[in-house]
Amino acid sequence: MAASAQMMSEADQIKTFKEFLVQYNKLSELCFNDCIHDFTSRNLRSTEDKCTINCMEKYLRTNQRVSQRFHEFQMIANENMIALAQKSGNPS
Amino acid sequence: MAVPQLDPAKLQLVQDLEIEMMSDMYNRLVGACHRKCIPVKYHEPELGKGESVCLDRCVAKYLDVHERIGKKLSNMSQGEAEDLTKMNLPEKK
Repeated sequence: MAASAQMMSEADQIKTFKEFLVQYNKLSELCFNDCIHDFTSRNLRSTEDKCTINCMEKYLRTNQRVSQRFHEFQMIANENMIALAQKSGNPS
Repeated sequence: MAVPQLDPAKLQLVQDLEIEMMSDMYNRLVGACHRKCIPVKYHEPELGKGESVCLDRCVAKYLDVHERIGKKLSNMSQGEAEDLTKMNLPEKK
């Protein structure tokens, strides 16, 4: 972490932080909309609290899994591109 | 088609645009698959088996669709460019 943070320029760090904040806002909105339906009480009920925390954790796991699959697909696409380039590069 | 100009500033711009486009696409992908695969009842924080399988297929399908539409779009714009050159040819002469 420290090494990558050092290698990143200040502009990149700000961009990453901004992306994090945007994600944070999206996550709040999503879990609020999915978990909070009752406004007869000012306080968060324990079921609502549990739902929001579960919602957040599940979302993060979802993101993690999608990211894994996404990178797998990208790697395959890259390999295909390289193979195609080599094929057309030296027609033997 | 056109030979890419090796102007470093322009190259950087194109690369930045590509990264931005990729991350936008990724965010939409996560949003779409979350909406379609994860029911709003959050009884537990873990991903269920069915949810996981759904996510895997969702990613694969989304990327397939993305690719198909990209191909179709580039075909269309190529056809349009050809039409334009056809239209412009008589004028050039």
